[in-house]
Amino acid sequence: MFSRRIAPLVMGVATVLAASVAQADVLFWSTQAKPIEETQAMRTNVLKGFDGKVDYQANDGGPWLTRLQAELKAGKGSIDVLGGLHGDFSTLPEGLTDLSALDLGGAKVNPGFMALGKLGTGEQKYIPWMQATYIMVANKKALPYLPAGADINALTYDQLIAWAKTLDEKTGGPKMGLPAGPKGLLHRFLQGYLYPSFTHSMVTKFESPEAVTAWTKLKELWTYTNPASTNYAFMQEPLLTGAVWVAFDHTARLADALNKKPDDFVAFPAPAGPDGRGFMPVIAGLAIPKTAPDMAKAKALIKYMLQPSTQVATLKATNFFPVIDVTLPADMPASVRASGAAIAKMSGAKDALPALLPMGLGQLGGQFNQVYIDSFQRIVLNGQPIKQVLSDEANTLRAIMKKADAPCWAPDAPSKGACPVE
Amino acid sequence: MTDTATIRQRGRRLTQAAVVLLCGWVLGPIYLLVLNAFSAPDAVTGFPKRWLPGFDLHSLRMFVEFQGVAEALWNSVLVATLTMILSIALGAPAGYALSRFDFRGKTAFRVLVLMTRAFPLPLLALPLAVMFIRVGLDDTPLGLALVHTTLALPFAVLITFSLFSGLPVELEEAAWTLGCNRAQAFRKVILPLVLPGIAASAIFAFVISWNEVFAASVLTVQHRTLTAFLLTSLDVSPLPLKFAGGFVLVLPALIFIFAVRKYLFAMWGIANR
Repeated sequence: MFSRRIAPLVMGVATVLAASVAQADVLFWSTQAKPIEETQAMRTNVLKGFDGKVDYQANDGGPWLTRLQAELKAGKGSIDVLGGLHGDFSTLPEGLTDLSALDLGGAKVNPGFMALGKLGTGEQKYIPWMQATYIMVANKKALPYLPAGADINALTYDQLIAWAKTLDEKTGGPKMGLPAGPKGLLHRFLQGYLYPSFTHSMVTKFESPEAVTAWTKLKELWTYTNPASTNYAFMQEPLLTGAVWVAFDHTARLADALNKKPDDFVAFPAPAGPDGRGFMPVIAGLAIPKTAPDMAKAKALIKYMLQPSTQVATLKATNFFPVIDVTLPADMPASVRASGAAIAKMSGAKDALPALLPMGLGQLGGQFNQVYIDSFQRIVLNGQPIKQVLSDEANTLRAIMKKADAPCWAPDAPSKGACPVE
Repeated sequence: MTDTATIRQRGRRLTQAAVVLLCGWVLGPIYLLVLNAFSAPDAVTGFPKRWLPGFDLHSLRMFVEFQGVAEALWNSVLVATLTMILSIALGAPAGYALSRFDFRGKTAFRVLVLMTRAFPLPLLALPLAVMFIRVGLDDTPLGLALVHTTLALPFAVLITFSLFSGLPVELEEAAWTLGCNRAQAFRKVILPLVLPGIAASAIFAFVISWNEVFAASVLTVQHRTLTAFLLTSLDVSPLPLKFAGGFVLVLPALIFIFAVRKYLFAMWGIANR
C-alpha cells in the first residue's frame, strides 16, 4: 500500500529535478496559430529552418498575458520570444525590450506597420510579423440570387441586405452569417467595417445620426441572418456545413472552407457604405520580454521570422500575409489565392477606407470592445431604441478614452489628448 | 389487488423509462463523439449522418502525431496522481479531526476550507506564478499538483468528514477497550471501513486535476498537462479535429473511472452497509 503510494511521488520529484537541468530550446510564446493544424505547421514547416530548437506554444490571451506578467514581476523568465496581435502587446510596453537596433537582414518591413510597433513610445517595442484582415466569403450557390446589377467585388451594404433578403425568401431560410458568438470577432466588424463605412469614424461619431443609420441597416441585415450566428466563432464551419451561404470573418477563420472546397466558394471584399469601404487590417508582431533568458537567440529568431522564405512559409501555415516586400510563389493554397485577391480588391478599391486596430488603450482594450458588443446585443438582439443605447454606451466609451488618454487613430481625425466622443 | 398490480407495473415502466432516458443522456454525446472522431472530415460536416463511423483515422492520427501529446498525457497523469495523493494525505486527517474532535474554531475551519473555491483561479494565478518562479516550483508537476490540491481539498475534507461521521465512535471505543491504541484502532478498524469512500474522494481529486485548464496553462510551460496542451488549440480548431480531440481528452478519464467504478458507488457512504 505504502510503496505503491510513494512510487509516483518519487517519479514526480525525479521529473522536477530533470526539468531544472534540461531545456535550452528557444521558447516562442504566442497567441497566434492556435488551431492544432496551424500550430503543427508552425513547428514542422516554419520553424524547422531556424538554427536551434524552437518550442512554439500557442495560448489563449488570458494565460499568455498572465504568464508574461508573472515572469516580468518575478524578474526571471523562460519566455524568449513573444508573438501576438498589436492589441496583445499594447497592455505592457514597459516589459518589452527595445528592438530599434535589431538587424533584420535586409528585410524591408512596411513602414506604417513599423510605426505601430512603437506602441506610442520612442522605442521599437515589437517588430511586425504578419498581417491579415477580414473579408467575405460566399457559397457559389448564392451568386444567382445577387441583386440585379450588383458587382460582387463592389457591393454596398444596401445590396448585401437585398441579397440576404432574397436568399432568405427563395432558399427556405436565412443564409447570411456573422461571427456573433462568444468567441467570434463581430466587434471588429462593427469597429472596422460598419462604423467607418457609415460615419468615417470609429470613436468620435459613435452616437452621431450617421451611426443611427448604420445600426438601422445592421438591424435590417440581422432579420435575414441565420439566428445561429450568435453561436458562431469561425465562419468556415457553417459555410462548410451549408448552414450559411454568405459570411463575414477573419481571413484565417475562413481559410478552411476555401481550402477544403475551393470550387464551392468565392471570396470578395466587404461592402461599402456612404462614407466608403471600411476595412480593418490586423497586425501581429514579435517582441522580446526584458526577462528573456537568451537574448541573442531570441533576436536571431525574430530575424529568421522576417526572411522572405519564412514569411511565405508562415503564410501557408497561418493564412496571415507577409509584412515585407515579397513575391509569392505560384503554389499557394487555394485560401491564400482567393483571399489574397479579395484583399487586393478591397484595399485597392477607389472607396477603400482602412480603419486601424484600437491604439493606445492598453489594458482597456477589452472594455473598448465590450462597448461595441453591448451595443450590438442591446440594439440588434434585444431591440432596444438605438438612440438611447448609443447615448448610454457613448458615456462608457468616453470614460474609457479619457482613462486611457488615447488620441484618435484612423479613420478618426488626429486629436490632441484623448479621442473625443461627440 | 389488480389496482396495486397495475400501479406497481406502471411504477416499473416509469423506472425503466427513467433508466433509458438517463443512459441516453450520458451515452448519446459519447456516441456522437466516437462516431465523429472516427469519421472522415467530410462526413463530420456532411449531412445526413451515418449511424456507423467510417473508421477513418485521419483526424485521430493528427493528434497522435502532434508533437508533445504523449508527454502531455504523461504529465497529466503525473499531476493528477500527485493531486490525488496530496489531497487525501491532507484531507482525510482533516476530515477525521472534524468528525471526531471538538476544537475551537471548528465551524470557522469548515467554512475556510470552502473559501479556496471562492476565488476565481485567473485572479490567483498571477501571484502564484510569481511566487512559483521565485521559489523554483514553476513549470514542475509538483507545483501544479499543489495548486490542484488546493482546489480538490474542500471536497476531500468534506467527503471524508461525512464518511467518518457515518461510522459510530463506539467501534473505535470497542477497539480501545480491547487493547488497541488510537493509531491501531484507526488503522485496523476505521480505515478498512472507509477505504472505498476515500478512494471515491481520491477519484474526485483526480478528475478535478484532469479538467483544470487555467492554472495549468499559466504555471507550466515545457511540462504541459494534456488539458492545457490541447484545450486552447481545440477551441479554435475545425470541427472534425474538435471531435477527435474531445475523444482523446475523454478516453483516459473514462478508462480511469471505469477501472475504479465500484468505489464510486461507495461515495456518500453507501459502501458502509
